[in-house]
Formats: sequence, structure tokens, C-alpha cells
Amino acid sequence: MSTSSETTADYLLLFRGNIWDRGLSPAQIQKVVADWMAWFERLKTEGKCLGGHPLEEEGKVVSGKQGRMVADGPFAESKEAIGGYFYLHVADENEAIEIARQCPGLEYGAVVEVRSVADVCSIKQRAMEYSPGQLAGATA
Amino acid sequence: MLLFRGGHWDRGLSTDELQHAMDKVMTWFGRLNERGKIKGAQPLSGHGRVISGTDGRFVVDGPFTETKEAVGGYLVLQADSLDDAIGVAQSMPTLRYGISVEVRPILAQCPIFQRHPELVRRATDGAGEQLWVAAAA
Repeated sequence: MSTSSETTADYLLLFRGNIWDRGLSPAQIQKVVADWMAWFERLKTEGKCLGGHPLEEEGKVVSGKQGRMVADGPFAESKEAIGGYFYLHVADENEAIEIARQCPGLEYGAVVEVRSVADVCSIKQRAMEYSPGQLAGATA
Repeated sequence: MLLFRGGHWDRGLSTDELQHAMDKVMTWFGRLNERGKIKGAQPLSGHGRVISGTDGRFVVDGPFTETKEAVGGYLVLQADSLDDAIGVAQSMPTLRYGISVEVRPILAQCPIFQRHPELVRRATDGAGEQLWVAAAA
């Protein structure tokens, strides 16, 4: 499947920071939101964005053996919290970065993380490097 | 949406332990898939870029995926409720190796509208459900 590279031309944009609207007037917020939706629709029309979602601000973080710890989180107001994502299908990383730079929230402090979608889990990848051929299913 | 955080849980495991863990993950994933619970899921590669500033003038390497906070993959889950989604997250086999799973409900429209009810909602009225569609697996 992946002879020369472990990545495809698919990228995930993770939008970080959910307090960019602070201090903006309703008209300014309206403009950012409208620009954001127009940006999303254009990318979809161009076939460069396959989908996306905003995420509810509050959720849960599950950790520990058998997931015994269930904590509220992430903290609702944060520069780090992920507020939503776009799934991009583009030529290469440069195009994904160019698209990320068009995000209407950047001007107000939003941060966009660009991550290439892997077709092989990196754990599997490393496992193959540790012990070539030993991990059943690792070449799937 | 389940966000898997902490990408280097395999450190220190023997090949046998890793094989066992990966088998359990694949079985877990396969079962969810058979039940029609998975709308999309992908691992993310270990490097990326972080874009910030007006017109995206700052482009830096990141995030550092060896940290516990870095997102290593995601799964868009078809769940009946937040509790149902938490239950699925709790059944993730690699939790015992130190990963954490962030469970976040997906919204049809931007939460900014909840904070600012005075905003005109024309951008999402009606078409909102179709605008925000799940990415294909």
C-alpha cells in the first residue's frame, strides 16, 4: 500500500482556541462567522474539503485502566482547546498550509494545526521498524 | 468525536505486548465498525504545522507528538448519548498504556451562536445540517 510514504494527501485542520470572539462587536463576530462558513463552502465546492464539524465546547476526558477516570474537559475557555476541524483532500502539505492561512479566525487569535492523515498508524510503523516482519498484520 | 491523546504509549513494551495490544485495538475497532458506530476514523502522522497570526503569518513545526497532550488520531462516533460515547471511550484497549481519550459532542452549528444569541443565523439556517457533514472514513 504505502511503499514510498506513509501519508496520503489528506490533512486535518484542527482549529484551536475558543475565545477569539472576546471583545469583538456582534457585527465583527457576524462577519467572522459568515466568512468562515463561506470559506468552508468554497473549499467543499472545490473538492478540497470533504467535511468538517464544530465541536461542543465541553466534553469529557477518559483515562486510566479500563477508563476508570472520567474528568470534565477540556476547559471551556482555552487557547489550546480544539473547537472544530476540517478534513482536507489536497495535493500536498503546502496547499494544506495555504488553506489554513485563509482561516478567518487567525486575525483574532485562533490557531490552526495542520496534521497529515496517516494510512498506517505510527505505532504500527514503529513496530515494523523495531522488528521487521514480526508483527502480524502490521503490513495491512 | 473521540480524540486520542498521547501517541507514544508503545514505548517500553515488548514485541509480544505490542502485538497483543494492537490485536486488541483492531478487534475493538472491528466490533464498533460492525455495529455501525464509526462514521470516520484516521490516525494522524507524527509531524505537522501550527499556523497563527493575521493572514497566517506564523507557520511553525508542531505539535510535539511525543507529548501526552498531542492528538494522535480521531474517531467520529455514532453514539446515542454522551454517556454512550464515554462508554465506548472507556473500552479503548490502550488506555492502560497511558493514552487518554477526549470525548467531544459534534455540533450542527458553531457554538458561537449559543454565546451570542443576537447574531443573525442565516449562515446556518436550514442548510446547517448539510453544511457540516462528517468526513468519510
